[in-house]
Amino acid sequence: MKNKKTSKISLAMLAPIYIFTIIFVALPLVYMFLLSFLKQAESWGVIYEFTLKNYLDILEPIYLTTFVESFKLAVITTLLVVIIGYPFGYFMAKLSAKWRGRMMLLLMVPFWTNSLIRLYGWIIIFRANGPLDKILMFFGITQEPLKLLYTYPAVVVGMVYALVPFMILAVFSSVEKMDWSLVEASRDLGATSFEAFRTVTLPLTLPGLLSGIILTFVPSMGLFFIADILGGNKVVLVGNVIQEQLMKAHNWPFAAALAVILMLMTSILIYTYRKITKVNELEGIL
Amino acid sequence: MKRLIALSLALVLSLSLFAGCAKEEESKTMTLFTWEGMFPQEVLDGFTEETGIEINYVNFDFDETMLAKLEAAEGGEYDLIIADDYIIETAIAQGLVQKLDKNSIKNVGNVNPFYQGQFFDPNNEYTVPYGAGVMALAYNPANVEKEITSYEDLWDASLSEKIGVVGNYRVVNGMALKTMGESYNTNDVAVIEEAGAKMLELAPNIRLIKDDNIQDDLVSGEIDVAVMYTSQVTLAMLANPDLKVVFPEEGFGFGIMAQFIPSKAPNAANAHKFIDYILQPEISKQCYEWMGYYCTNAKADSLIEDAYKSFLTLPADVDASSAEMIQNISAEADAAHTKVWTEFKAACGQ
Repeated sequence: MKNKKTSKISLAMLAPIYIFTIIFVALPLVYMFLLSFLKQAESWGVIYEFTLKNYLDILEPIYLTTFVESFKLAVITTLLVVIIGYPFGYFMAKLSAKWRGRMMLLLMVPFWTNSLIRLYGWIIIFRANGPLDKILMFFGITQEPLKLLYTYPAVVVGMVYALVPFMILAVFSSVEKMDWSLVEASRDLGATSFEAFRTVTLPLTLPGLLSGIILTFVPSMGLFFIADILGGNKVVLVGNVIQEQLMKAHNWPFAAALAVILMLMTSILIYTYRKITKVNELEGIL
Repeated sequence: MKRLIALSLALVLSLSLFAGCAKEEESKTMTLFTWEGMFPQEVLDGFTEETGIEINYVNFDFDETMLAKLEAAEGGEYDLIIADDYIIETAIAQGLVQKLDKNSIKNVGNVNPFYQGQFFDPNNEYTVPYGAGVMALAYNPANVEKEITSYEDLWDASLSEKIGVVGNYRVVNGMALKTMGESYNTNDVAVIEEAGAKMLELAPNIRLIKDDNIQDDLVSGEIDVAVMYTSQVTLAMLANPDLKVVFPEEGFGFGIMAQFIPSKAPNAANAHKFIDYILQPEISKQCYEWMGYYCTNAKADSLIEDAYKSFLTLPADVDASSAEMIQNISAEADAAHTKVWTEFKAACGQ
């Protein structure tokens, strides 16, 4: 009797979350999934008729290429983010409490500004005769203005810049929670500092690293406006195609089909990644 | 706390009653639905001063949003809408637009006939144009040795990495169609694909593709040639008057922004008054100089200041037959365009 009552109460407490999830996550996904099997109307809207055409269209080489491009950029971005973000988060967690707070503040401050505005800041830095060019020329490293803006490296810089805080925070939180006496024990037992890191610290912080990777990889598969703004639209990602199909071509079903495939691809990647690393618990997410 | 809530609820209720009252009278307001920044404030104030009609200015970002909202309102709610040609064609087809009472618009004769009788309103029954955009080519002669007179010139090897284009696939693919002597509006997929192959040859010359503020890149020297919209040409020319604007030899594409009154507009009479008011040449002049689109009021052409003339009025020798509007095409042709366009963009990045 008592049990029943508690379960009712806990259900009532959980109901808002379920309702929220159903309305804002599940229903839009179902809508998108259904939309991807419909036909595009001649000029406006969709026709309620079943078709697989949208999925067949994705097999066109050019659209497959955009998936490959997105994957490539996501991998490059994630690698760089790991290289920069892991040591950053690791050392940040080892700072004194006072400095840790200050670092955290510095990490958070940029988030108070809209990300688009921050990207426009990069345009100013990269553009011909901009600050970066001036510095390089001042030190005699280059002789004339470079064409830095609207290039692939500019896009990579923008992506890494936008996503690195997520990695830092994820690694930071798992390093902070780590039991350092385990590292000390391994050192006592004769491990070099590198061995201690490889056999103790790394496995213990793996959940943080993994959630950082997922927090970086998943958005970078879909981020399209960085390639737009810093890449001059010349790096074509799935996100760009989806946006264009929605906003310019008004082909909603095709955009939905692309999005479904993108989500499936990302899910499979996350699943395999978790299987390989055998980490089931992720820090902070999932 | 409860009392406060009750009080504010009561307040909201009574306010909404007032709102109801205002609608009953209705003759002294007008809801204008268009993009942000379409009129200088003096013009709007001047209209209210002269007629006593208050303007309620409501914005939309995209034509598509406008149509969706107009559909939801079933042709009511808004009194006057200004939007792009192709979406008006759809709105008219859906019965959301009413025929204008031309007798109450005495200045209607001022409209430049060049912009009349176009595809979206062949008999000029539903719309009055409020400005046109011409796809223009502008370049900086200081950094470009070649004299550019046509779209074909853009393929010249000397322009490697120097060109910027807007992100509108109909316009940009259209350049290739034009050099092939085809129409912007061809529905022939084979022709579109052929144009696509030609676009791939243009890719090495493309430095960037973007819609917003591409004129800044032309002015700052990031690019030296730009294919862009009229309002952007205006801004670029004001920033650097040495730039050259070209009407390509192959002919050019243009679009019209027009005013229409929805089928169930609550204050249609006021909307007619507004259309008439802004058709006065002196008022039109103010509008065009301020918004930077081509003047569609023939009587206002001569009033436009010299500094603006070259990019707000059509050249005297313009050949009407070489100009073509970009219209809705079949879904199949549109899909071919987007595919060709995606290939082109990817090739630009190589």
